[in-house]
Amino acid sequence: MSKRSLFRLVWTLLICAGSAYFFLPFSKVKLGLDLQGGVHFELEVQGQEALEADLRDTRDRIQERLQEKAITSVTVKSDPTSVRVDGVTAESQPAVTKILNNFGGYTVTEQGNARILTQKDFYQKSLKDDANKRAQQIIENRINQFGVAEPEITPSGTEGNRIIVELPGVGEAERERIKGLLSTPGRLEVRFLSKKQPNQIPVKTEAEALAMLGGQLPEGTELFPELMEKPSVVTNQMKAAIRAAKPGEKKLDDVRQWVLLENKVYYDGGAITDARRGQDQMGTNTVNFTLNHDGTDANSKLTGIAASEGRQFAFLLDRKIISVLHSDEKITGGAVEIKGNFTQAQADDLSLKLKSGSLRASMKFLEEQSMEASLGADSIKHGITAAVIGFGTIILFMVLWYKWSGLNAIVALSVNLIVMLGLLGSFQATITLPGIAGFALTLGMAVDANILIFERIREELDAGKSVPGAIQAGFDKVFWTIVDAHVTQLFAALLLFIFGTGPVKGFAVSLTVGVVASLFTSIYVSRFIYDWVLERHPGTKTLSV
Amino acid sequence: MRIFEKLPHIDFMKWKGVALAISWGIIVVCLLIARPFTSHSRVKVGMQFTGGIEMTVRFRIPMAADQVRTALQQGGIAGAALVRYQSPPGTEDYSIKVKAKAGQDAKDSTQQINKILDVLKGLDPQGKTDSRQDLNTESALALSGKWYDANLLGLQGDEQSRRAVYDSWAGKITEARGVKGAITGYNDLPSDLPAPLREMVKKEFRLGNVTLRKFESFSPSISGEWTQKTLLAVFWASMAILLYVMFRFTMSFAVGGIVSLIHDVLMALGLFVLFGYEFSVPVVASFLILMGYSMSDTIVVFDRMRENSHKPEYRRVTVTKLVNDSINQTLSRTILTSLSVLFVAFCLLVFGGPALRDLSFPIFVGVITGTYSSIYIAAPVVVYWDQWFGGKDKLKQHA
Repeated sequence: MSKRSLFRLVWTLLICAGSAYFFLPFSKVKLGLDLQGGVHFELEVQGQEALEADLRDTRDRIQERLQEKAITSVTVKSDPTSVRVDGVTAESQPAVTKILNNFGGYTVTEQGNARILTQKDFYQKSLKDDANKRAQQIIENRINQFGVAEPEITPSGTEGNRIIVELPGVGEAERERIKGLLSTPGRLEVRFLSKKQPNQIPVKTEAEALAMLGGQLPEGTELFPELMEKPSVVTNQMKAAIRAAKPGEKKLDDVRQWVLLENKVYYDGGAITDARRGQDQMGTNTVNFTLNHDGTDANSKLTGIAASEGRQFAFLLDRKIISVLHSDEKITGGAVEIKGNFTQAQADDLSLKLKSGSLRASMKFLEEQSMEASLGADSIKHGITAAVIGFGTIILFMVLWYKWSGLNAIVALSVNLIVMLGLLGSFQATITLPGIAGFALTLGMAVDANILIFERIREELDAGKSVPGAIQAGFDKVFWTIVDAHVTQLFAALLLFIFGTGPVKGFAVSLTVGVVASLFTSIYVSRFIYDWVLERHPGTKTLSV
Repeated sequence: MRIFEKLPHIDFMKWKGVALAISWGIIVVCLLIARPFTSHSRVKVGMQFTGGIEMTVRFRIPMAADQVRTALQQGGIAGAALVRYQSPPGTEDYSIKVKAKAGQDAKDSTQQINKILDVLKGLDPQGKTDSRQDLNTESALALSGKWYDANLLGLQGDEQSRRAVYDSWAGKITEARGVKGAITGYNDLPSDLPAPLREMVKKEFRLGNVTLRKFESFSPSISGEWTQKTLLAVFWASMAILLYVMFRFTMSFAVGGIVSLIHDVLMALGLFVLFGYEFSVPVVASFLILMGYSMSDTIVVFDRMRENSHKPEYRRVTVTKLVNDSINQTLSRTILTSLSVLFVAFCLLVFGGPALRDLSFPIFVGVITGTYSSIYIAAPVVVYWDQWFGGKDKLKQHA
């Protein structure tokens, strides 16, 4: 064997070995959700909510500062786009200005006695970015704690506000629960019930509740509905409604009471260090959590006031009341128990949310796909059958048609197959059903390159060239044809890669890889085999093609 | 073996006018029948582009399509399209599609899904009288939780290790369910399942009739994006190919290539619609592949034209002869290369199962029209271009 042939052989074998390293054992190959079953979500972070939440925070902080400075004439309100500070007088004006100037992300505009605070563009952007980043992190936390093997959580979208969650092996039964875990922020707040409450008769509308309070909310309070599945106070009217409901029917969803809560949040989910499901003596499910140092302080202050003044406080999750409690004594430890008529799964999920931290904004489901494993197994079976039959037919055809040269093509094709698998493995590409189709198709196209070369060699031989001359001319003249043909296919494959997601991306990857592998094997490997055979049979007059 | 023992001398260009008329005629007829963008459009578009829900369910007890349809109507699910799928004996698979209404958000679709599922579960005759949990829809966690609470195997050790044991058994059951698509009898339970666990499953779980095999939901807002993305991808792919061919060949070749590309895509589109296939994102992907393939097929012929135009014997002949000879010289390889890909596409179409059928159809059609269009669409354009713009010299300069 000449040095050149040896060199090429070593190269080819090295590339094959390198490729094998990437895809062997086969368990390394990742299957897409369409093949192994699982759930795919595309979520969008509702950035607007993060902005609104910040407006509410700002409102509360301004209120706190005003109280510290004992400015009582000034009122603060927030709406979905701005914070409004009313009743600024000449004497309070310098102090108020000083307070408002602390909020760097806001533009303050004067309107007579009022000051309007609106978020600056850069501040809105940073709030949204922050919400996106946090969402990614917290979704990862929640999924990991839920215990899904090999989840894939990737950001997407031009504004970075989308998250694609792929959970292999998750079935229909878990889908709804995971959806619930992902969609809601999980923000816990603890607030006092206002001393003045609308009458404890179930009131269905907010307007009715407001009317009972004299048409106007007291300063620094907000009305919240409390779902009355297990009401904290049961009135006769409610009892009637409960009796009227048939078993299993959730008529009580309609029965609401409106509760007036103070704006001040004593502590929130941020203060929680750990949470888990528990049970009380009655065997009902509870959620127990542990607070950090600040949270413990706030909790002891809260329970102290509650015990001495006989007041109630509420736990809110995502601005919905989950539990209203009162306290008989000041609690100094950091352990808190919430009872809220939870099912076991609900208690598990709530503690999981509390542990993982809260999202800045809720999530919207743009896309949702789930696939059962059996359907995926069917697809694999069909896909592989089709690919194997296709590949087998081609091999048979090549040998019958081109004889020994056909064998050359098959060696080249096999190397092609190995290189393709290796490239796919090195990109850690996921094999999808269209990916298998793409795989089979590129093998068909790889054969094309060999056909072009062989046909050309035949033509050159017919024109009276010697065997080495015909091979030389065959490869040289077809080179650019093959390159041009491959490049146009590469364009299509690359565009697919750019615009596609999931299965389509798998398709694009296998096509791209196939095109590259086919260029290498048809031009380099096939040529090398011919040269090698010629070396062993110098002066041969015939070529089996 | 050879297709032609001697080099063929077929005067392809003699029939170029007829060929052009026939093939564009077919396209026009297809489009007239398909009537895209009208209210009577026959174009079927997947939920990914319109927004809505698509699910595949499997019934363990055979269920007539009418029965399902009536139940859905009575359940207040308007406009649900029902299609029966092939399934193993003893089971029945249906695909249910519901288009999203304008302005529908995620919450609505969740409600709708649950409503449909409720309707389907209502079709279970046993479910009405049997209040036990359904083994075919319960999660592994629900199963293992029950076992754990009762500690049926009397395990020792800490909570975590005990849970792990029950979790692994529950996982085996859901796995067994996954293999068959549904547990159709208690015999389907894993054979090595410990007796106490098996007894509990038999006692406390019934075998529901319905399993959800595949489920997709797209909000209308994202479906608009998909449409846009898809069209952009097709547009940029054509531009990239056009530019490359212009760069490598000449203007007349690039125009010929693109016209034949458009021809192939339209032909495949028309037939795709006529055969009642439905557009989905993977289908669009296969159209892009068709474009790449059609062009590479054309390039084989173009390359020969370019090569021949350099040869002294073609210096004084007409473009028509140049084109005809080039086609004849490359005819056998054009046919062979097309056949090899056609084999594969055919196998995917026939053996690839329902999921690959939609995707391989455009490629199957595309390979045939791609071969034909290289000869009868791309080449005639080059000839006409030469007749109208006298581009023969230019063709040679560039080449």
